[in-house]
Amino acid sequence: MLRYTKTMRTRDSNKEEIVKQKAIELLVEKGIEGFSMNRLAKESKISVATLYIYYSDKDDLVRKIGIEIGKNFFDEMAKDFSPAMSFREGLYKQWENRIYFTQNKQLEAACWELLTHSSYGESILEESLQEFKIIMGSFFKNAIDKKELVSVSKEVFWSIAYGPLYSLLRFERDGKNFRGGPFKLNQKTTDEAFELVLKALTP
Amino acid sequence: METDFNNILIFGTNIKTENDRQIISKLLNSNPEIEQWNIDLEDIDSVLRIESKSLNASQIIKMITEQDFKCSELTE
Repeated sequence: MLRYTKTMRTRDSNKEEIVKQKAIELLVEKGIEGFSMNRLAKESKISVATLYIYYSDKDDLVRKIGIEIGKNFFDEMAKDFSPAMSFREGLYKQWENRIYFTQNKQLEAACWELLTHSSYGESILEESLQEFKIIMGSFFKNAIDKKELVSVSKEVFWSIAYGPLYSLLRFERDGKNFRGGPFKLNQKTTDEAFELVLKALTP
Repeated sequence: METDFNNILIFGTNIKTENDRQIISKLLNSNPEIEQWNIDLEDIDSVLRIESKSLNASQIIKMITEQDFKCSELTE
């Protein structure tokens, strides 16, 4: 008869980091439907058993990865930002932080985009957005009180405040302008778009 | 809450359908020594994951194979 003994397992944070990184790569490459735990184990060079020790199943993994990226994302957004800033200064900081994240954490940004627009979006945002939501809510209210911002719904605000920036970042990601020539988001273009956005949102 | 990695047992099974799951659900839910369990029906190995402080792999394998399913421990 076989005897089973319990082996002592310890957390290997190095291995866990590799798994997280590979999971993000696979999610971006294959999408949520095409992502599989078996494939992830192979790519991370760990056994399926080890992977299931870290995460109970695919749902658990996708959710946890999403929450972690979300926390990183909102930490970045809150960096050097305060709700007491003037509307111009605060919104400009938000642009800078968003540009930084999109340009320097491309995979995370792509994965974040994918997950927040999936069926996991709601539960991921619920866990990761909380703090930042309070900060932004108070920035938004201050700006309206100080008459630096027109009173609009959050959706209209978001579309106008960030829509142009994300369009420009998409041009940059594709590396092309409308005529097929090279495109790089520089300070001049950023400032030009920012001033127009500010004009639209100022009472 | 952090799970103690040492209390997790991982098995490959041939539990494939919702009906199969129902059968083992009854068994596993009624066992007070099992703190938590889940099965990933989407996975090729239909991975069964059990958290238990007291049970060992052979005891789980016995429980599952008695229901006419295949079950083997996946090693790390």
